[in-house]
Amino acid sequence: MSGNGERAAIRSLPSGVPGLDTVLGGGLPEYSFNLIAGGPGSGKTTLAHQIMFANAKVERPALYFTVLGEPTLKMLRYQRQFTYFDPALAGSAIQFINLSAEVMEQNLTEVLQRIVSEIESAKPGIIVVDSFRTITAQPRSSDKGAAFDLDQFVQRLALHLTTWEVTSFLLGEYVAEEQRSPVFTVADGILWLTQATDRNSVVRKVQVVKSRGRAPMPGLHTFRITDDGLQIFPRIPEQTRKRALQRRERLSTGVPGLDEMIGGGVITGDAVMLTGPAGSGKSTVATQFVVAGLANGETGVIAVFEEYPEEYLARANNRNPEVGKMISSGKLELIYLRPLDLSVDEALSAILEAVERLGAKRVVIDSLSGFEVALAPTFREDFRESLYRLVGTLTATGVTVFMTAEVSEGFREARFTSEKVSFITDEIIVQRYIELEGELRRVMAVIKMRGSDHSHEFRLYEVTAKGVVIGDPLTDYDGIITGVPTLRAKPAKAKRGK
Amino acid sequence: MAGRLIKSQRSEQTGGQTAARAAATACDKLYRELSRWVGPDGCHALFTRALAQARTDHPALEQIQLHARSDPYIDGVAEAIMAHGDPATADGLEALLVHLIELLGRLIGDDMATKLIERSVVAFERDDPTSDRREEA
Repeated sequence: MSGNGERAAIRSLPSGVPGLDTVLGGGLPEYSFNLIAGGPGSGKTTLAHQIMFANAKVERPALYFTVLGEPTLKMLRYQRQFTYFDPALAGSAIQFINLSAEVMEQNLTEVLQRIVSEIESAKPGIIVVDSFRTITAQPRSSDKGAAFDLDQFVQRLALHLTTWEVTSFLLGEYVAEEQRSPVFTVADGILWLTQATDRNSVVRKVQVVKSRGRAPMPGLHTFRITDDGLQIFPRIPEQTRKRALQRRERLSTGVPGLDEMIGGGVITGDAVMLTGPAGSGKSTVATQFVVAGLANGETGVIAVFEEYPEEYLARANNRNPEVGKMISSGKLELIYLRPLDLSVDEALSAILEAVERLGAKRVVIDSLSGFEVALAPTFREDFRESLYRLVGTLTATGVTVFMTAEVSEGFREARFTSEKVSFITDEIIVQRYIELEGELRRVMAVIKMRGSDHSHEFRLYEVTAKGVVIGDPLTDYDGIITGVPTLRAKPAKAKRGK
Repeated sequence: MAGRLIKSQRSEQTGGQTAARAAATACDKLYRELSRWVGPDGCHALFTRALAQARTDHPALEQIQLHARSDPYIDGVAEAIMAHGDPATADGLEALLVHLIELLGRLIGDDMATKLIERSVVAFERDDPTSDRREEA
């Protein structure tokens, strides 16, 4: 006994699930008694397998007790398709034990005895009971006082597992109304998995309902199941990341003439939005912005939502062959996110990972319009709030974010920015078409530059083979904003006296 | 692998079992070992399919019956030996085991199936008082 008031340290086990340790507040508490609850197909079995394969060792194996429900053979057949499933561990570090005979005897005492006997024999570090619900839901004709026995069974199981220093996971198909079940009271941790259909999209979420002795991240966190198993995208609040202390420097946009319009360049750590109609050259400007950074030895990330990355790259390479070389050399990363059931946290996770991997200073999101479409319908409703969080989190890391947004405009209607998202930006640059001397021309203007002076001119620009080039200001015209400017009448010259 | 399972049941201590009896014992033990993993019903389903496949080439298996959750698991061996002889019955039961191992391999992969069977062989040897493992211990 320490006797000096020292707390017993609770070691954390890695879950083996990307993102889950963050949500859990540091990992799985060792020797904890956990419940993984959720409906059919919510990913309970996959999650449990990932945890087992991440932690099982021959000297402290994992025991996977299967009961009634998914036949073991089928479970193994499907589980081994995942990349984390190492067949070399199965049978040694991971042992599968079927409890159906004991459960069908309808006697909880026998079930408990079998579990305890297997634990005594194998001395595991982890056990999983799948599905615990089928044990407790069986009618117990041979047990007296069924409700009392269930309470006792859960209590005794938890005690045995803890005293044998086992971290345990009970899996069950529970619904929210069943949270009065004794297992919910006894469990140290409860993970709740859900999947909801929203129009044609399916959104999976996980919540840490209970975590004794830990401070997990509150709320619902989206996750995806891929060939690698579950990946969780923690719902990172913008405030949890401190805005990186940085010198407010100016970065060149790489667009000749544009730096001058914005007072000498984009301010580091700012979020810049470039809006304009289709074909106005938004992606070209954004790519030039990243390429300018690459030329200075910086690294960058481009998140593409509207085009396939091959097409995007081919177009970018036509203007600047360095782009492809930079991708090959790991200086630039092109992220393609277009699943139509995306969550903002998933997008943020992918971008942040790339930023951290490359040490990127410049990030392009092309485009916000495509990003919104790629989101599952449920997340489109919170698009403003989500984008605020995404931009805030990215800029807090010190990166400068360049976003494009398509604005549909009538020819005579001036709509500078998407009113939904303009509030999140520090700088707004608009592009639009005008009719000038019978030709369709493009003009660019800066309408917002937080904390800095900027040009108030409309300037013509061209999209050339090498990129966007800013031209002359339209100082002699009125009504540019209408799309059909008129040449301002020159003041009449004073007549000289005869 | 099937041959190794059967061979493990033909040691001196097993009382000089005939080949067919040794194969039947191997089937019984394998049923019990595999039931630990996949449950008695899952294991019975595997044996039933394997028996059906083996019967097409081995008429001696016509008399063989499987009884889930009972001991012995495999029944009708004496009748099969009487009708077809010991070697034919043994060949049939070995074919049953081969089909079972192949079926398991198709379902969960050859590597895992092999591992499962090997574990069973080890368990057989552990149970066998004349095995090298026991002598070493």
